[in-house]
Amino acid sequence: MERRVVITGAAAITPIGHQKDEIIDSLVNGKSGVAPLREDDLLSGYIHSKVFGTVGYPIAYAFDRKYRKTMGPVSYYACQVAKEAIEAAGLAAGFLSSGRVGVAFGSTHGSPTVQRDIYKNFFSRSPTRFSSIGAVDYLKSMVHTTAVNITKMFGITGRVIASSTACATSSQAIGFGYETIKFGMQDAMVCGGADEYDTTTVAVFDNLLACSTDFNATPHLTPRPFDVRRDGLVVGEGAGAVILEEYDMARKRGADILGEVIGFGCNNNGGDLILPSPTGVAEVIRLGLENARIRPDQVDFVSAHATATKMGDIIEARAIHSVYGDHPYVTGLKGYMGHTMASCGVIETIITLHMMEKGIIAPTLNLEEIDERCAMIRHATKLYELPIRIASVENFAFGGVNTSITLKKSE
Amino acid sequence: MTRNEIQDEILKIFKDEFEIENPELDDDLGEKYEFDSIDALDLLSRIEELLGSGLTQNEKKQAMEIRTIRHIVDYVERMAAKRS
Repeated sequence: MERRVVITGAAAITPIGHQKDEIIDSLVNGKSGVAPLREDDLLSGYIHSKVFGTVGYPIAYAFDRKYRKTMGPVSYYACQVAKEAIEAAGLAAGFLSSGRVGVAFGSTHGSPTVQRDIYKNFFSRSPTRFSSIGAVDYLKSMVHTTAVNITKMFGITGRVIASSTACATSSQAIGFGYETIKFGMQDAMVCGGADEYDTTTVAVFDNLLACSTDFNATPHLTPRPFDVRRDGLVVGEGAGAVILEEYDMARKRGADILGEVIGFGCNNNGGDLILPSPTGVAEVIRLGLENARIRPDQVDFVSAHATATKMGDIIEARAIHSVYGDHPYVTGLKGYMGHTMASCGVIETIITLHMMEKGIIAPTLNLEEIDERCAMIRHATKLYELPIRIASVENFAFGGVNTSITLKKSE
Repeated sequence: MTRNEIQDEILKIFKDEFEIENPELDDDLGEKYEFDSIDALDLLSRIEELLGSGLTQNEKKQAMEIRTIRHIVDYVERMAAKRS
């Protein structure tokens, strides 16, 4: 049995805005969400990259204490986008608890903020701390904290998939959620990812010499996907959630259909844990298309992973070209907001859906002069008013985990 | 600390930390306020701070049967007495 899977709700917290109109405004007006890296008392002083994709606005959370008590910052993000997406989709409480709805949601680490407090406690010599770990500290910090705070808040009793594959986390969540519904195991899935502000993540990339360091005085000019002056990635924070639903059910209840997931490809490079592989990436693109049963020339738009590292962008451009030639427009959305880590796949999917709805293709921000080694594909260098009927969203993670999601515009 | 002082401190903890204001001393906290085992363990951490001393595993396990504010105050009184 293979059922159709549609998207009936979406919500995101991103460095370029929270509500749909704010995000679209940022795309249309070329506004960046990259700001100076906030100071913390641990690592910010040592980090060379002083920029961060920042959620720089307050969020009016309204969570009762019984939910808040097991939530670290990452789960606040996750529960907020889940709540907004569920409300947008209009899913009834009875259905959410029926066992036919599940959650596929993850984050890179769980909550590093809470983990630091736990370790501080362990290593502290202070005589006033008696209990070693607070009862709920583990629940707030554990790797699957986002997924299960969502199940708790909404009484969801179906399957839980808590992917934790760094940059591929939320694209895997969408892909596995899609497969779960497609093959009949669930009728709806809350899918997405979240990552909180955290300097340990920045330090990891900084130590690998992968972070942007040339634009510390002008944060909005970085990252620069595919650009000649690109100098590395910018870590960011954020969250996104989409509600995937079986098509007939969504149609019968008159749900607003934002788009359709028609394919998912996922593979591994089987080798280096850091550098993307041109063959691995090209293959995952093909897998996504094959799974969708479409030809490359049917894809109008590619949301590239494009983190703006020297080598990564070249490898991706070559892989895109090897499958698509120069037909589809390609945008590196991270130019606007940096790399939002676990949430990048779902945020980039949601932005693609917004562009599909509005009939626009946003350009890659900060792409002023295309690196000739990336020039063989069709880069979106200005705002276009063009329809996107089919799009592909690509993401690749440390460990060589690659994903490709194929999306179709809602009819 | 006197019993009254202990009671005042406990009520303050319930207000500040658990957002439970003016509970009756004999209310079943689980039934009325959904006070669960996670909250109980958090409360024990605060009681340790109040006592200025750690609680043993056994002492903590004894506390897990408690259901009301009155019983909490009794418990803290007992623990404080053991330590004076």
